[in-house]
Amino acid sequence: MPELLAFETDFAAALRERGRTPAMQRWLAGSGELVESRMAIYRANMVAAADKALASAYPVIRQVVGEDFFHGLAREYQRHTPSVSGDLTGFGAGFDVFLAAFEHTASLPYLPDLARLEWAVHRAYGAADAPHWDPSSLAAVDGEQQAAIRFAWAPGTAVVCSTYPIVRIWTIHQPGYDGEFSVAWDLAETALVSRDGFVVTVADCSPAEAAFVAASLAGAPLAAAADAALAALAHFDLEALLGRALSARLICGFTL
Amino acid sequence: MNAANPTVSGTGIGLRQPHYREVFERLPPLGFVEVHSENFFLEGGASMHALERARAAYPISLHGVGLSLGSADSLAGEHLAKLKRLVDRVEPALVSEHLCWGGVGGVHFNDLLPLPYTGEALALLADRIDHVQATLKRRILVENLSAYVECRHSEMTETAFLAELARRTGCGLLLDVNNLYVNAINFGFDPVARLAQLDASSIGQMHLAGHTVAGDCLIDTHGSLVSDPVWSLYEQACRRFGPKPTLIEWDTDLPALDVLLSQAAQADAIARREVVHA
Repeated sequence: MPELLAFETDFAAALRERGRTPAMQRWLAGSGELVESRMAIYRANMVAAADKALASAYPVIRQVVGEDFFHGLAREYQRHTPSVSGDLTGFGAGFDVFLAAFEHTASLPYLPDLARLEWAVHRAYGAADAPHWDPSSLAAVDGEQQAAIRFAWAPGTAVVCSTYPIVRIWTIHQPGYDGEFSVAWDLAETALVSRDGFVVTVADCSPAEAAFVAASLAGAPLAAAADAALAALAHFDLEALLGRALSARLICGFTL
Repeated sequence: MNAANPTVSGTGIGLRQPHYREVFERLPPLGFVEVHSENFFLEGGASMHALERARAAYPISLHGVGLSLGSADSLAGEHLAKLKRLVDRVEPALVSEHLCWGGVGGVHFNDLLPLPYTGEALALLADRIDHVQATLKRRILVENLSAYVECRHSEMTETAFLAELARRTGCGLLLDVNNLYVNAINFGFDPVARLAQLDASSIGQMHLAGHTVAGDCLIDTHGSLVSDPVWSLYEQACRRFGPKPTLIEWDTDLPALDVLLSQAAQADAIARREVVHA
């Protein structure tokens, strides 16, 4: 193995596993004690980077579990799912899966769903800006062709289903929230995440609305998306949903 | 390829999100503002909009923290492609990276890790910098690192390594005066003597920042005022290299904007004084 690769491989092993630090004495100047204490600085930096990146994507979970516990979560997540990129934007994509299997958060069973909601919000913040689009072009579609409309949703739009009141939990942890803090824990909520301009919104939506948006987001034509919603709720009001989506600029185009 | 857009001079500050609103309202007179490239590897949204507003008001310096030029196994092509998209979009005055590695074997530590200063590393880094400069179609600046460990098998000093990289690739250097001071204390060398290993024409920018004392070691935390010995070393650097675009870098425990502006004014005053006396 080339020398530089051997050096970096040993360094990486010592960062990930403290017990591997003595191997660094071959490479690094100073006593074994010095090498231990200095490598500990890098190990702390590594966890701090993970903590900072996760905290920016998961501010609500950080509030729910507290800063110290969150730091420990970041360390465990990093151990379990190391960063694979110098760009930390995508670090944290697997936090929901990690939380679902992590025994020390089992008493907070809603955390994985809350993580999926926060990840959708995180993605929406950096999503592409929606193109300008005039909804009146929809009115020009013939009645016969309407069933085939495939909507283009504003980048960042997402649906997150849960059996827990994740929208309520998310809402009461937002900066500036000044309402009361009661939570109806037996309520199942589905979140519709959207971005209008630079503002990301999380709204509670019905399972039927979620079914429609999820199907449409996945590319289904209007008729098939409406069938998915009607399967969830027989008297689903498609017109009302489309009216809201258009006025909130969630829909920014269509194809036939 | 130019080391710096000719319009870049004077002092700048790191532009961080909590200061966006105040900076855009006040538009303080600054030579440039610097951001971390990786924070803008996004498709759109509020952050990209803020960068565009900053770009309309100031020359931009894109400072990369994640390209990991020194990873022995590979250079992340996808990361470089994202950087290229950002460079094409922003048309920055300066683009800089660190003399470091950040990951190996598919795992990234998202830190600036030190290299051994060997002929092998020099050849690798020169190849990488050639590739990056060819891809971005511009000269980049490469920054000296703060470090807490030193390699036994280094064959030269970090500054000699950087000087040789600049000679081989035509890259410019970003001299972080605080990093040089931190290392001088951590490893016990004379930082002024190291300045003498660098050529004024290769220096495209300087950085100033605060550090923290942790027992026997200085840690480069970017969370406090520039220390007196670092100001003194900056004076020496200005005397030797002449005026260079200089940045006040502050990342943790961000203070009021006015604190950064006052540090920038202090740097400006030193640069002007030392140049007059040079």
